[in-house]
Amino acid sequence: MTARAERSRAVRLERPPVWRRILWSEHLAGWAFVMPAFILIAIFALIPIGWSLILSLQNNNLLSPGHYIGLANYKALAKDPQFRSAVGHSLVYTVLFVPISVAGALGLAVALNRKIRGIRFYRLAVFVPLVTSTVATGIVFLWLLDPTFGLVNYILHALGLPQQQFLQDPNEALYCIVAMTVWSWLGFDVIIYLAALQGIPEELLEASEIDGASKWTTFRSVVVPLLGPATLFLVVWSTINALQLFDEIYVTTRGGPLGSTTVIVYYLYEQAFQFFNGGYGAAVAYVLFLGILVVTLMQLWIGRRRVYYSS
Amino acid sequence: MLPLDAPPKKPGRKLPFSPWHLFLMPMAAIMLLPLVWMVVVSLETAQQAHSYPPVLIPSSLHFSNYPAAWNTLPFGDFFVNSAIYALTTVAGNLLFCSLAAYAFARMRFAGKNMLFVVFLATLMVPYQVLLIPTFLIVKRLGMVDSVGGLIAPNLCSAFGVFMLRQFFRTLPIELEEAARIDGTSRLGILFKIVLPLSLPALATLGIIQFMWSWNDFLWPLIIIDSTNHAPVQLGLSMLQGAHSTEWNLLMAGTVMSQIPMLVIFLFAQRWFIRSIAFTGINQ
Amino acid sequence: MKRICLFVIGIALLLAGCGGSSGSSSSSKGGHVNIVIWHGYTQAEATAMKVLTNEFNATHPNITVTPQFYGNSDYALQKVLAAIAGGKPPDISYLYGSWAANIATNPSTVNLTPYIDQFGWNDFWPAERHVATVNGKVIGIPALVDNLALVYNKRLFAQAGLAPPTANWTWSDFENAAIKLTNASKKQFGWAYVNDASEDTVWRYWALLWQAGGSILTPDGKHAAFDSAAGLKALTFLQTLTQHNAIYLDNGSDNYLGLFTSGHIGMLYTGPWDLGQIIQGNQPYGVQILPADVNHQTISGPDNWVVFNNGSAHVKAAVEFLKWFTSPAIDLKWSLMTGDLPIRAGVTKVAGYQQFVKKYPGIGMWVQNLNNATQSRPVTTTYPRISNVIGQMVQSVLLGKAQPQQALSSAAQQVNGILAAPS
Repeated sequence: MTARAERSRAVRLERPPVWRRILWSEHLAGWAFVMPAFILIAIFALIPIGWSLILSLQNNNLLSPGHYIGLANYKALAKDPQFRSAVGHSLVYTVLFVPISVAGALGLAVALNRKIRGIRFYRLAVFVPLVTSTVATGIVFLWLLDPTFGLVNYILHALGLPQQQFLQDPNEALYCIVAMTVWSWLGFDVIIYLAALQGIPEELLEASEIDGASKWTTFRSVVVPLLGPATLFLVVWSTINALQLFDEIYVTTRGGPLGSTTVIVYYLYEQAFQFFNGGYGAAVAYVLFLGILVVTLMQLWIGRRRVYYSS
Repeated sequence: MLPLDAPPKKPGRKLPFSPWHLFLMPMAAIMLLPLVWMVVVSLETAQQAHSYPPVLIPSSLHFSNYPAAWNTLPFGDFFVNSAIYALTTVAGNLLFCSLAAYAFARMRFAGKNMLFVVFLATLMVPYQVLLIPTFLIVKRLGMVDSVGGLIAPNLCSAFGVFMLRQFFRTLPIELEEAARIDGTSRLGILFKIVLPLSLPALATLGIIQFMWSWNDFLWPLIIIDSTNHAPVQLGLSMLQGAHSTEWNLLMAGTVMSQIPMLVIFLFAQRWFIRSIAFTGINQ
Repeated sequence: MKRICLFVIGIALLLAGCGGSSGSSSSSKGGHVNIVIWHGYTQAEATAMKVLTNEFNATHPNITVTPQFYGNSDYALQKVLAAIAGGKPPDISYLYGSWAANIATNPSTVNLTPYIDQFGWNDFWPAERHVATVNGKVIGIPALVDNLALVYNKRLFAQAGLAPPTANWTWSDFENAAIKLTNASKKQFGWAYVNDASEDTVWRYWALLWQAGGSILTPDGKHAAFDSAAGLKALTFLQTLTQHNAIYLDNGSDNYLGLFTSGHIGMLYTGPWDLGQIIQGNQPYGVQILPADVNHQTISGPDNWVVFNNGSAHVKAAVEFLKWFTSPAIDLKWSLMTGDLPIRAGVTKVAGYQQFVKKYPGIGMWVQNLNNATQSRPVTTTYPRISNVIGQMVQSVLLGKAQPQQALSSAAQQVNGILAAPS
């Protein structure tokens, strides 16, 4: 018998013989643990989500009573070219943001997970953009990337490179937003990775060194797999967030220039709070929700097969 | 710098300091740029603060902006409200998310996977459509224009549940199984074994939740009416006009508002970065 | 386990204790009425609001008015919508003029038409009255009025050897000056234009359209009328200046103002809201009416105080307050404290008005310019969408991504589509 089976048998022999009673208490215990969180989330998240589902089935400007129009909002969405380009922008953004920020954070966390002088200061530096308000971040980046007066073009000029229009160029704006949000959010991923790195037992690292593996090999075959759960978490979380990008767009480009940074949630916001089309905005939110759900489930499924949990 | 204090030099190294500094210094500079800008502007006159391109080296330092910002608005109230909001939501999340995350990580119960997906799903709907219904619920509970109204929707988030579940699953299960055999209750295992081993994760969740509550602007705007119930970010927005803003005062206020978060981070580092030195991979 | 229970109970008590709205809701008790007024004022205007509401409360013992800050710009709308959804809107709220048509659809928006005689309605500027009236119903009392005028840097003009703008200036005078004032090596621009495709981008274009003799929509409001020779002329005017790189394209963060006060921009189309900073900026400046193509028309962007129905006692008190607040003597006090334009013609005749003109040098030109604000934007529920289309149109020309005629035709097509759709 394997050690695991032996243990399992021991536990089973320990249990009271009534099969029903065992299962009952295990299920009850599980639900009891989950209940406080579930109640709070049910009241403050599930009910509002339900409310907005109902809103999406209405023609409702949030000012006068709405009337039901069934799935008409969804049908209109399917044909809406602006919604389609918003989806395109969101996808481009997500596909760039997630890998860059997660991989970058991993490298940075490893660099910050050491005892050298001033390491606390460096960790603090990485954390600072995360706590800086979006408004302040937007203002600074708008200035840095100003085509005429910004610092970046000044540096490009000094290096003999051509000046760019950055946030005023429809072809460049979205990539500038990627850079800005990676900069802002890196600290978040880094502190998660730092916490996860603490969970790697030193014995494993020492064993790897003793076996003669180089630092890079140790990193790649010991550390990275052990960080699997954290990586999965960050990939899922970053994707969920990236697809809901809004605040940074709102304080810089407002969906422009020429609609090139109109992502899905910004489009939703325009519809609901500028055009007074609340029902349509809620429909956009629901379609987005379904999209995110599908992507997340896929990621979790892939993660299930590939992520190693040390137990 | 006494030789005794310096980290042991590896053979073959030519620099008097770790080569990592060459990478970390520029990285830190890039990361700190906006904060530096904010501090500089907070020390300028109104006119300098308004100029564009920005004046980065003011001729004189106006520390008076800080007391001026503090006195223009009831910042004392703002900080107290934010502190209550942040600390309560941190405590709530740490408690409720731990319980739920442990159940998802280690326990088996009917409907567990479905429930987990339901939890995650609550993270997938953009907040813009949830503001109004959440307001309606909080209003029904009679908590409009109160700190309780700020706290209630944020006492427990699926984010914390998800994050802690991932961390709990990385812990070696043998310890828990051994305790189970010894007859410890599930709750006991959670509090006596799992949580103590999860300090880094708990500290991280605490920092993140603190930051979210401290930086929250839109929900406080919707739920708070009276100035003396406003938390910090909402209060700061009262320095920001539709057309003109006193940037020097606003930045002084903003810098003041960020200090608690930076302090908490420095303080909490001892929990989520263990100070045990790693051999091998570090030096 | 015990500790957890105590903790949870503690949280519950904390929430309960912190709960309950505390005096911010309006109520009435035996003749005395408490009303709440929501605004987005900060700095000088917030102070003025407090001073004047205190004065009102002191002189009107049966009414207490409590001003509350509701955020600025777009965020305010979300808060107002939430309050309306919750069935408890404020008694009075400051709302943008561009929202008027949509706000009017709300059943608790009070129809103020029966009260307007008490206000001396015709004393308010025409642009204000237009924005406050939706389908013949008056749903707002004017809260703010402004307009676009030409502000220029006297020193830069002298340096370039140009005569300063006069009241007879034409578009070609302006173009000529803008080009002469542009100097790439000094990073100096002749003009600035807000190019974030928002209403700020759009309303400047409307001023140009009207100056060329055009109009936005046909008189029946069912079709676009801006795609005319006048509309083309206005867009081409912008294109020409762009091609000379004479325009600083502001990304919406209003950096143009800091640039103007540091001497990088020669001329602005702007309003009284920037005057405070311009005065502080120490550049010698002048104010003039906008240059003409066919006329010197300008555009005004008034906002409204909207009254919501929380019962007849509250409505009466709200009307009482607004009557007092917009009376010439009180409005002059407001203008003196804030630099906002007088809300009605009667203010210019109040003793002490000259103090106002002296305190804010140049403000008199904007007041005079109100007579040039003869047309207004359509007050319809579809206007925000129309604005969105025009914003993209103007932005595409300013960025050099489209030719005026093509941009114009495409925009007209979209606007016609918007107007044709069932509302």
